[in-house]
Amino acid sequence: MVIVMQLIEKLSVLADAAKYDVSCASSGAPKRSSKGRSGLGATDGMGICHSFTPDGRCVALLKILLTNFCLYDCQYCVNRRSSDVPRARFTPEEVVTLTLDFYRRNCISGLFLSSGIIRSADYTMEQLNRVAKLLREEHEFRGYIHLKTIPDADPQLIAEAGRYADRLSVNIELPTEASLIRLAPEKQVVTIKQAMHAIHEGETEAKAEKRAPRFAPAGQSTQMIVGADATDDSTILHTAQSLYGDFRLRRVYYSAFSPIPHSPKTVPFEAPPLLREHRLYQADFLMRSYGFKAGELLTGPGNLPLDIDPKLAWALSNREHFPVDLNSAEPALIARIPGIGILSAKRLVALRRQKRIRFEDLTRLRCSLEKAKPFVITQDYRPSLAYRESSALRQQLSEGPVQMGLW
Amino acid sequence: MLQVRFDGRFDGWREAARDLLLRGIAPHHVEWLAGDEAGGLFGGHVAPEPIEPSSPVRIPRQLLAELETAARFRTADRWSLLYRILWRVAKGDQTARLVGDVDGSELHARIKTIRREMHHLHAFLRFSPITCPSGPDYAAWFEPAHDILTSAAPHFAERMGLHSWLIATPDDAVLWDGDVMHYASPCPAIWRQLAQTAQESGAELWKTYYESTFNPSRLNRDVLQNNLPVRFWKNLPEGPLIPQLMSRARAGAQRDGQAERVATRPGKRIERPGQA
Repeated sequence: MVIVMQLIEKLSVLADAAKYDVSCASSGAPKRSSKGRSGLGATDGMGICHSFTPDGRCVALLKILLTNFCLYDCQYCVNRRSSDVPRARFTPEEVVTLTLDFYRRNCISGLFLSSGIIRSADYTMEQLNRVAKLLREEHEFRGYIHLKTIPDADPQLIAEAGRYADRLSVNIELPTEASLIRLAPEKQVVTIKQAMHAIHEGETEAKAEKRAPRFAPAGQSTQMIVGADATDDSTILHTAQSLYGDFRLRRVYYSAFSPIPHSPKTVPFEAPPLLREHRLYQADFLMRSYGFKAGELLTGPGNLPLDIDPKLAWALSNREHFPVDLNSAEPALIARIPGIGILSAKRLVALRRQKRIRFEDLTRLRCSLEKAKPFVITQDYRPSLAYRESSALRQQLSEGPVQMGLW
Repeated sequence: MLQVRFDGRFDGWREAARDLLLRGIAPHHVEWLAGDEAGGLFGGHVAPEPIEPSSPVRIPRQLLAELETAARFRTADRWSLLYRILWRVAKGDQTARLVGDVDGSELHARIKTIRREMHHLHAFLRFSPITCPSGPDYAAWFEPAHDILTSAAPHFAERMGLHSWLIATPDDAVLWDGDVMHYASPCPAIWRQLAQTAQESGAELWKTYYESTFNPSRLNRDVLQNNLPVRFWKNLPEGPLIPQLMSRARAGAQRDGQAERVATRPGKRIERPGQA
């Protein structure tokens, strides 16, 4: 009973300490099964959200720190060494026990393990690897493992992590050198990028040779904090674009800066900018799936509009492409129409092989008609002249007042 | 109106539908009666005259898979929609399968709902360890909105390795003995009791985790309810915590991201390296 109480105490501290990392994906792992075998766990490439907390975020993995003792003093971080928070440290065996217990109860699909920096980068990375090794080798755990990679750790240790983990991540946190110097004095853009490069190399090598041991098959991701410093969306999106290009990152996560207890004066103590974060995710999705470039979504410095989504914003400033005739346009251009997603675009193309597209088909495909109306032509429909002015249109399609203060 | 009675399962429907198709009986002449369902007032057993001579019917395999999935959707007209689509495709009208079509749109909406409900089961089902020596290692009680248990359950055989487990629902149940899947409909009372009793115990660690990983400064009830519909809360160990955490967040805990049980404990600053 005492042991359980201790574990509960530690868990409450080390889950609280880990929640500011927003990544929760459990997707992208290769197919693994434990059917009829010893061991535990399966993956099939699809992620599962086993629960949602009242902040609306998904719980797919047990997301904890091995310890929240930390030598670094990153101003935005609740675990910085000057922060007056309770501290705790799990043994690797305790993390293994929790992971297997939660997994059997079907509460999670795996583990996302990170840590404060203790003793040295190498020592910390070794500890993380030890947990993953115990799970994979002693317990034959085939569920999902995401390991945080410590930027300054020896490349050998990163290579070892890649053999056990499905996903690795190095958080860039702040996209400019200037912000890192000011807010995270122990971190450097160059070592963060070196670690990303090491992971990318590992992935490339594993893919090149059929018999090579697997290396982080679900790839790598990173996180940028939004609103802890003055960096604008344009810088954030251009940084994301180059990370996708240079290191083939699977995902960039955007984390609206949440106020932390005993907040230092260097970072804001304000409600997290959730709507701004939402617009960044939308823009990121347009870059990953729709072929938009950062420079198309934001042509100069500044932030994405909050009152309309980035695809609508792009369409309003590029009216020369519209209206688009759904019966003849290229599929890629159809997907750029506000209110019509990639899936609907594909379905429209399939449908128009059978018949002429009519406006009611958009209703049936559950497209957002209000948004699409000014931008499409169908067999029986043409937008009226009233839609000519972009500024009037924007007012009409705006989603209303921007985010309210939360307290 | 021709009343067609069958066992209420997809294979039974398929047999009956093939027969009707061969006899050239159009969908608007058919009333489907699953199991011992009562028929409509104007039903009769007199088959209308076949409209055209029968010829062998070729149905794409993928359409059958789609129909089988849609057949899991609980609704009064589930079998008549399927027959209407089958009929139209058999007559060469491929649009009946497409999302842009009136029937196709309904078919795909049902398939989507079924997939989502299977996903709900994979996500929100909770196993509890069973202490009773003659029972399986784990048991779960789940209340699906559609008939998805048999298609959703094999997922857990992949996850649970050599463990045996039981999933009981208000209608049916599956037991995996480590080797073979046993299906029972209706759910045996003893299985139901085993699953519901097991549910009541434990999960303290999981509840602790749930509470601590929640960020009160990001409270967002709408997104939570869209993703985790309220009907699932009562069977989740963390369910009772949800309203508590929401009201505490609104009453002031929303100030910053920290969990309350952590905030009340003494903190510890760490010396700068080299200055200790």
